[in-house]
Amino acid sequence: MEEKYLICEDSLEGIFTGIYEAYALREDHRNIHLQVGEEDNLRLFAVYIRVAADSGKAAKVAGTICRRLGEGVYLDICRALASEDKGKGDAIYKTVLCGLKMKNGSRVMGNLTDRNVHKVFELARRTRNEVHHWKEFLRFQELESGILYSKIGPENNVVTFLAPHFADRLPLYDFIIYDEKRGIFVVHPKSKEWYLVTDRDFDERKAGDYSEREMEYQELFTFFCHKIAIKERENLKLQRNMLPLRFQEYMVEFGL
Amino acid sequence: MFYKVTEEMGIKEKLGILTDAAKYDVACTSSGVDRRGDGTGIGNTEKGGICHSFSADGRCISLLKILFTNECIYDCKYCINRKSNDVPRASFTPDEVCELTMGFYKRNYIEGLFLSSGILYHPDFTMELIYQTIYKLRTEHRFQGYIHVKAIPGADPALIQKTGYLADRMSVNLELPTAESLRRLAPNKHRKNILAPMRQIQNGIQANKNELILYRKAPLFVPAGQSTQMIVGATGENDYQLMMVAESLYQKFGLKRVFYSAFVKVNEDKDLPALPGGPPLLREHRLYQADWLLRYYGFQARELLSEERPNFNVLLDPKADWALRHLELFPVEVNRADYQLLLRIPGVGVKSAQRIVRARRNGMLKFEDLKKIGVVLKRALYFITCGGKMMYHTKVEEDYITRNLLSAKEKLPFDKDGITYRQLSLFDDVNFQQFGQPGS
Repeated sequence: MEEKYLICEDSLEGIFTGIYEAYALREDHRNIHLQVGEEDNLRLFAVYIRVAADSGKAAKVAGTICRRLGEGVYLDICRALASEDKGKGDAIYKTVLCGLKMKNGSRVMGNLTDRNVHKVFELARRTRNEVHHWKEFLRFQELESGILYSKIGPENNVVTFLAPHFADRLPLYDFIIYDEKRGIFVVHPKSKEWYLVTDRDFDERKAGDYSEREMEYQELFTFFCHKIAIKERENLKLQRNMLPLRFQEYMVEFGL
Repeated sequence: MFYKVTEEMGIKEKLGILTDAAKYDVACTSSGVDRRGDGTGIGNTEKGGICHSFSADGRCISLLKILFTNECIYDCKYCINRKSNDVPRASFTPDEVCELTMGFYKRNYIEGLFLSSGILYHPDFTMELIYQTIYKLRTEHRFQGYIHVKAIPGADPALIQKTGYLADRMSVNLELPTAESLRRLAPNKHRKNILAPMRQIQNGIQANKNELILYRKAPLFVPAGQSTQMIVGATGENDYQLMMVAESLYQKFGLKRVFYSAFVKVNEDKDLPALPGGPPLLREHRLYQADWLLRYYGFQARELLSEERPNFNVLLDPKADWALRHLELFPVEVNRADYQLLLRIPGVGVKSAQRIVRARRNGMLKFEDLKKIGVVLKRALYFITCGGKMMYHTKVEEDYITRNLLSAKEKLPFDKDGITYRQLSLFDDVNFQQFGQPGS
């Protein structure tokens, strides 16, 4: 049997469509692989099939996952999808396969001895941790217009996981969360639903100046962080373990 | 209301003084309650809590931790704010606290407010000020984030009661583990005044649970539970006494957390111990480890320590220490042992034990699977078998395992200073420059 590689777009829709097509081939799943984005190293004797993302097919796959594997597994898969890992597509595909074979599919994420399930588990865990870190360390700065503006540089595509948290927290505020690595914005207008905007060429200067009180608050908080430390217990190594440097560059209290 | 509002002082200066004065309180968690915002104000809370920053001592900054005032009528010997100390004093107004909380919260600096206070004039007066502040914050500003407040010992129970309906967590500090120590170091505080509000809050939480069964929308009373803290190393109690106190606080007072605070010597007083090696950080660390064993691992204080062995092992964590004294129970077969027993294996935590239970439904686990699951094999390997076999050819023998565990080096959250005492040389002036200017 020849190996088949389905090349799909790097998105939830793209990968779910890939899973749909993999089933539609009705061949031995061991010979089918999902690949996200283009391959630089083509294999000999392998067939490459391009899969165009199709929202209808993707929705069917999403529906099946939710129904048969449960909401928890679906969310873990979404978290794994937010990763930048090249192998995520195939791992997710094989995990879905594994789950659908099980009597109780909702337990699939517990099957850590399976290589692919473990991979999805690991990717999902990393995204979950990073989402949590940004909930902790993200900082809003108040612009002159009153908008709360935040810039982050996450390793995984986490903004869609952050948006509901902050929308619930700050319902009466206009706020923006900007993922500078991907050019994605979460926009939350006061008392309305949030939405996503993509702009790869965003120029931060367009955002406008900070409000009058912004610097005052940054200074107050930096001062607070300084004052709350107990000199006799100083431990910069522990501080850096708990708060890695890659977050510090986005935090006002480390900038001043 | 009449109290000395320090008008001439700027907000920054006040924040400095009142943060400095609050920093020795350790409980800075924002956990225990999940609450969505209702859309009319600002804020929500997450069950697991959220830390927003870490200070230079590596401790988490989750809440705006401040004193309302550092004026105090008491003269506790260990406290920087004791009446007889000559330190700068300041007081906030309720509006200032609200403004700071809101300004910090919307910028995602903090999870909420931790408001404690020195005793100004009278416990009732102080409690009333705390109540006014959080009432303003909850109603005028529609703040729905986390609020932790101190119940002031000796305050009118009615005040504590109404504060409890606004706060998420309340705490009364036990300060010192025994009534005797309290009498010696905090002559104005009385054990019964501390335990009374603690009992009141416990009863309040219980009564609230019953109300909620009857009426789902009844207002919540201290939904994140209550906590307390004990100072470690200021008085002569041993670890066994501390753990027994902590255990009974969990069992008899239904506390959510007991915090341990390594004593930092801020005052010079003949009744306080000299601590040339700095605060007893290692001891504090061991107490926290044991505390987790009590709360999540099904251990009892008596299993870890006894009258004969009243202190924790300096070299080994309490769980490994326990396991080495109970080698008759090991090695444990990972594929069959029940959850409670898995929890007792050194190198296996709550999460990995849960994962083991889930993963072994799909077949026998091997050592490499355990590694994937997150088991720390270099610690666990002496205590487990997989499919009847140990990982290496190892002896189940106390000296042998101890030697190997020690060479695998325990990860401690601080440098060696917590363990070894710095040698004093003749010309060192360790902290001597601080005489007469405490807390500088």
